[in-house]
Amino acid sequence: MGRGYMGKILNVDLSQGTFLEETIADDVYEKYLSGTGLASRLLYDRIPAGADPLGPDNILAFMSGLLTGSGSLFSGRWMVCGKSPLTGTWGDANCGGTFSPAIKRCGYDGILFSGISEKPVYLYIKNNHIELKDASTIWGMDAVETEEHLEEIHGPHAKAAVIGPAGERLSLISGVCNDKGRIAARSGLGAVMGSKKLKAVVLDGRKRIVPHDKEAMHKLSRKCNFWVQLQPPLGPSFVPAFLGTLLRILPTGMVQDGMIYKMILRQWGTGGMNQMSPEWGDSPIKNWKGSSKDWPMKKSKSADPDVVKNLEFIKYHCYACPLGCGGKCSMAGKYNETHKPEYESVLALGGLCMNEDTDSLFYLNELLNRAGMDTISTGATVAFALECYEQGIITIEDTDGIDLTWGNVNGIIALIYKMIRRDGIGDILADGTKRAAERIGKGAHQYAVHAGGQEPAMHDSRQDPGFGVHYSVDPTPGRHTIGSQLYYEMFQLWKRVKGIPKKLPMCMYTKNSKYKATMGKVKEAAACSKFMNVINGSGMCQFGTFLGITRAPLFDWLNAATGWKKTPNEYMEIGECIQTLKQAFNIKHGIEPKANMLSKRALGIPAQPEGANKGRTVPIEKLAGDYWELFGWDKATGKPTPATLSRFGIQY
Amino acid sequence: MSYTITEACNGCGACAKICPVNAISGNKKSLHHIDNNTCIDCGVCGRICPNGRIIDENGEPCIMVKRSQWSKPEFNKKTCMSCNICIENCPVSCLALREPLDRKNLHGYPYLKNEKTCIACSFCAEDCPARSIEMIAPVQDKKQAA
Repeated sequence: MGRGYMGKILNVDLSQGTFLEETIADDVYEKYLSGTGLASRLLYDRIPAGADPLGPDNILAFMSGLLTGSGSLFSGRWMVCGKSPLTGTWGDANCGGTFSPAIKRCGYDGILFSGISEKPVYLYIKNNHIELKDASTIWGMDAVETEEHLEEIHGPHAKAAVIGPAGERLSLISGVCNDKGRIAARSGLGAVMGSKKLKAVVLDGRKRIVPHDKEAMHKLSRKCNFWVQLQPPLGPSFVPAFLGTLLRILPTGMVQDGMIYKMILRQWGTGGMNQMSPEWGDSPIKNWKGSSKDWPMKKSKSADPDVVKNLEFIKYHCYACPLGCGGKCSMAGKYNETHKPEYESVLALGGLCMNEDTDSLFYLNELLNRAGMDTISTGATVAFALECYEQGIITIEDTDGIDLTWGNVNGIIALIYKMIRRDGIGDILADGTKRAAERIGKGAHQYAVHAGGQEPAMHDSRQDPGFGVHYSVDPTPGRHTIGSQLYYEMFQLWKRVKGIPKKLPMCMYTKNSKYKATMGKVKEAAACSKFMNVINGSGMCQFGTFLGITRAPLFDWLNAATGWKKTPNEYMEIGECIQTLKQAFNIKHGIEPKANMLSKRALGIPAQPEGANKGRTVPIEKLAGDYWELFGWDKATGKPTPATLSRFGIQY
Repeated sequence: MSYTITEACNGCGACAKICPVNAISGNKKSLHHIDNNTCIDCGVCGRICPNGRIIDENGEPCIMVKRSQWSKPEFNKKTCMSCNICIENCPVSCLALREPLDRKNLHGYPYLKNEKTCIACSFCAEDCPARSIEMIAPVQDKKQAA
């Protein structure tokens, strides 16, 4: 009888060209799950303090989730982990598609790469055969070309994770791509892969993934699927757009149920928020200095969800996903097939840069997916450059004649080409806003919006202060996928986890109450952090968990897959352990958590004079200190106390 | 415990030729061997062996089935969730996603793209959480039915 996980990892030493299979004891999975949890334990122990993220001592881990392939739904995420060259902290990024089950079908829960190869190589595993193959002929190809080439050689059953030219050129905002348009983009781990001269990981295994109780897994999945398929028509795209307007105008907020978001995702994908989010202040505009007034509906119409949806010819489902929020689009005379741009990409390359050109959003999305560059960080860095240009810090001489006026689509495209090629000013910008501001000087840092070097995503902390907390305090700073006040409402964890604040769905509250630094909010943030570690240990998709813990029964799936009998609170404790381990990783590598605070502008310091977030400020000092204290970390410094480290068996 | 080959194997090589994971080795006209670590228990060796020389994971001898009579997956589109589990878990990649014809429903659904490659392992049916796949044996020809 299986336990859902494979019980083994593969260590690949790229300097020596050697492979070592390693058995992982059952109690390690019980303590850290798989995915980022297992990786955090292994990499904490194995990456020496102060290791150069782009040097041979850094370890790049490709991890599958504990639940992947076990019969649960929404469990097709794979994770890439390592020391981030962008932030110097713990780094991870995750992605859907079909690569996660491919790792387990080779018999492993993870593949860890250390060292640096002398020449470009790719790892190829077929059944029990493992080989490092020469990649010199594919080095230089874009990510989609690389996948197509590898598919031609190794057949369609082989699944590949690859880097594009951005990763090869060590851009610190590059990611790892799979399924011809999906990307594990954050933390700059594409550059780590590039530094190791590792072009691709190609997996063609067929091992079976066996859960403890398959019938129980399927039964839980069928119950979950009932909620996914419950889909009344939402009408045309102005319905969510006006819902956004309503949420802005009303003086009160409402405890939201994730079913609303599930329905939007099912009908339009993440793009369903393209107009709704700017309306209610969730999307930062004009490099975070603008507001909903600068991006009214007539401008956000450029990314009208229905316009995007009309170009879609098939929904894209990741492995084990019944929802299908992704899509493949075609545009006559332009693309036969391109992945539907996600909300984050649309707003980062659209509203953040004041770009109203619909075609360019598709073009840049495809261009960046092929280059293997993070659309969020790229959009944010372009927006930073546009503001520097406006302020006279960058001149037309610096840009080789490119006009960087807000919204100038030709200028934006030309600049992004330069960033991908590291040409001229593109070389200065290719490593994100923090590095660019340091290189440019002249006070440019005041326009660089980041947390510890990572550009935050298109969710404004001034609208939901929960985002500001996680952008600032998470061991992987600047991330929108950890938690927020809205996420806490949608997870509905209080229905299964004891000792956390309860919320009454659809209950109204005053908007001002969101900005008060209470212990309740800190407890909510801590619960989100712990739960996300369980999600990432399981390989679950966060969108699935937005259904709520009773509809997407993560804890029950975990027990049925493994045969464990853990309570929800025990799983949350595992999440707490992983969070502490990642924070300890940062301390081991000389990071001061306080240095990772989100840029003041994004925290509403000073508060905006107009728009949806007028007068809003995130009380970050109080919230961060209380969050750290709740985890048993020092309230002033964010460093785990000796007692907490001892509790989780962590040693510096 | 995976499938095993008995001493009476005549080394015809039919099992080694069809095994989707190359778990079977042996010289022509001599006893073949199944590698336990590689075998995925798909059972195709047992179905193809003309002499019934293969024993399944329960110790029972396998019975050869004429290839034209191997069961094939049939898909219930009404309950299918388009989750791709069947397509990705198929060891011989014989399933694919059919592109939607109707703009009202843009979800793709799986179908048996390559009937000749299917080895009737039934993994697709076993792994489908929605119970949307049934393995159906082809109807016998008229002469046999009569």
